[in-house]
Amino acid sequence: MSADQSGNRARASMNQATDAELFQAAKAGQTAALGELYDRHASLVYGAALKVLNRPQEAEDLTQDIFLKLTKASYDPRRGSLRTFLAILTRSRAIDRLRSYTIAAQAVERSQPAKAEEIATNPPLEYAHQSEQSQEVQTALAQLSIEQQQVLQLAYYDGLSQSQIAEFLQIPLGTVKARARRGLLKLRQTLTNSIG
Amino acid sequence: MARSMPSEQVQLLIAGYVLGELEPEEAAEFEQLLQRDPAIAQEIAEMQKVLEVSHGIEETPPPAHLREAILTAYAAEQVPPIQAAPAPQRRRLQRISWSRWAGGVAAAALIVGLGINNYRLWRQVQTLEATTSPASIVTYSLTGGQPTQTASVSLTVNPNTLEAELLAQNLPPLPPGKVYALWTVLPENAPVTVDDKSAVLTETFSVDPAGKVVHRFTVPPIYRSQELIRRVAISVEDAAAPQAHRGTPILSTKL
Repeated sequence: MSADQSGNRARASMNQATDAELFQAAKAGQTAALGELYDRHASLVYGAALKVLNRPQEAEDLTQDIFLKLTKASYDPRRGSLRTFLAILTRSRAIDRLRSYTIAAQAVERSQPAKAEEIATNPPLEYAHQSEQSQEVQTALAQLSIEQQQVLQLAYYDGLSQSQIAEFLQIPLGTVKARARRGLLKLRQTLTNSIG
Repeated sequence: MARSMPSEQVQLLIAGYVLGELEPEEAAEFEQLLQRDPAIAQEIAEMQKVLEVSHGIEETPPPAHLREAILTAYAAEQVPPIQAAPAPQRRRLQRISWSRWAGGVAAAALIVGLGINNYRLWRQVQTLEATTSPASIVTYSLTGGQPTQTASVSLTVNPNTLEAELLAQNLPPLPPGKVYALWTVLPENAPVTVDDKSAVLTETFSVDPAGKVVHRFTVPPIYRSQELIRRVAISVEDAAAPQAHRGTPILSTKL
């Protein structure tokens, strides 16, 4: 068996593996598994990083950091999708970086705003990217209750855990869960025809 | 679309998974669901897309060179120190593998830049790169004929640590009392005791109902001598006595 043949077959089996299987294989040291995960999700990570940082070199550095540390991250493949984990992690790390650059650049006395304050001044309907959303997406979002939009945004956009959201909004954990899931399901039903 | 929609309860579970917040008992239920109905995977992908589209996620391909840079750095981290003496240096190199790469490039550029067409110096750079490269990781790919044509098994071995990982897909789940046995087939002159089929029982394993498994174990030291490994094969054996080696290979590396 030549190394090339073996490599080709290994790649073919990687193509069919789920993200969870590839994550476990990468965790066990298989570089090819990390390569496949990179091929699947690097555009998501780089895109999310670039959107916040707005500087290609910084976005590149962050993408490298995310993938190199991925297998040591606290991701549990049974609890959720890798893409969501990556999107939230990248955005959160990008904001941290942006904040540290800002702090370094600005006068030291300007204190950084606490996360809760930022959220409080960021009403649920005002997604930062709203102007970029298609009419269809805006219409679909408008069909959600304000509470559903708020919980989805806090979870996916602000990267808060469900218990943090429950604490922040002073509502039971079960309510947070139900609002987020029902909200996403509603979006799924509304956007069925426009999602490829 | 002809595909029927899953029940609302299942869709809410999928939403929970896509949001990354299934509770442990839900995760177990979800895992079973996925195994029973592979079509769920498509529904997950669509729900994921909805979440991303509705939250302004835009994919942007990163620069082409980034992939190799990341994988090279990752592979370098996977190779543990072999000799005791250079360990501290290796450790430092691993942490700053980017710098190592950059250093290699700089060294090569310097050689060219100074116009020293010095073969020995060039070889030194090559040797340095070879000793720190991850080339020592070996992957054995096993495939089969009927009825396991769609099955695939890859065995990745680190000859330094003898750690191995077996990744199996589409292997038929076995009845109780049977296991899959992984055999290492060696030449007659190998310094290892083999059975009458020139094989060493290397590991036994089972697969999940979907025919998959990711299994980590340690291989025998013979894997440090790759040239001695004729073949790696898998057969079905009695769980009580796999070493009897009564089964015939259903998957194997190429002869």
